[in-house]
Amino acid sequence: MTDCGCDKAKAELEEFLHNELSAEQCQDIRDHMANCDDCSAEHLVGLTLTTKVKEACQEKAPEELRAMILGSIERLDARA
Amino acid sequence: MTSAVLEHVGTASAPTRDRAPQAPVVDSGPMTDELAERRRLFQEQALPYMDQLYGAAMRMTKNPADASDLVQETFVKAFAAFGQFEQGTNLKAWLYRILTNTFINVYRKKQRDPYQGSTDELEEWQLGSAESATSSSSRSAEAEAIDRMPASAVKDALQSIPEDFRLAVYFADVEGFSYQEIADIMKTPVGTVMSRLHRGRRLLRELLADYARERGMTLSETATTRTRSTT
Repeated sequence: MTDCGCDKAKAELEEFLHNELSAEQCQDIRDHMANCDDCSAEHLVGLTLTTKVKEACQEKAPEELRAMILGSIERLDARA
Repeated sequence: MTSAVLEHVGTASAPTRDRAPQAPVVDSGPMTDELAERRRLFQEQALPYMDQLYGAAMRMTKNPADASDLVQETFVKAFAAFGQFEQGTNLKAWLYRILTNTFINVYRKKQRDPYQGSTDELEEWQLGSAESATSSSSRSAEAEAIDRMPASAVKDALQSIPEDFRLAVYFADVEGFSYQEIADIMKTPVGTVMSRLHRGRRLLRELLADYARERGMTLSETATTRTRSTT
């Protein structure tokens, strides 16, 4: 259990969010956030941003695209 | 998250000939079976990524017609190269690499992006101030405001940031690719990925804060007063 302090936490928060840190580094940041409202609020902003971006970007391809792709692939077969 | 190979490879060990004859077999040379099998595998493994690739293509080209063309071209190229794809490796990342390449080589040239090519040299001052919200309570209010933001506002904001930043954010936050995978897709060092991601997210945050402020979704500590609706 080591609190890594604000500077280190702030610097690594984004990597923490994106699962780029080791288990040990993650634990350090969690330990720090447990005692630091500022860093945990900052993390919440990051997390919310990621969730919203992910939600906003869900798309469904047009119905006809699948058939178009299959058609082109078949033509490619014929030429091979 | 280095070995994030999440793709499940289908039952490739059952080459029974129960495939519906949906494709007209043009000639019955010795290649036919092999091609039919390759097509079957491709349809089974690669085609399920169509919606996801279309989503990325929408963020790249910004319009449905070009996005469809881009995805179609990507699948055609991927199929032509599918023989070289190493089964068991990350198919999703492979497809995204082809998509991104195709976009850069074909579509980006047609489009006008004011920041194109020079995003990594953008100065700090051009990116605005990062730490506008300083206290933890105003950060909480910021998170709350972002959470209430309509999807269209988030998309608009994403669409208006420089392309390299936008793609890095998309690959990390929407697709969940690791930094190393993004580096491979964008053909750039991991350090560049981290910087693009950081700057992109920062810009996005500022744009969303502006949006919230314009709509009276206040980010200050008095955020408890109900929004003055302007919509």
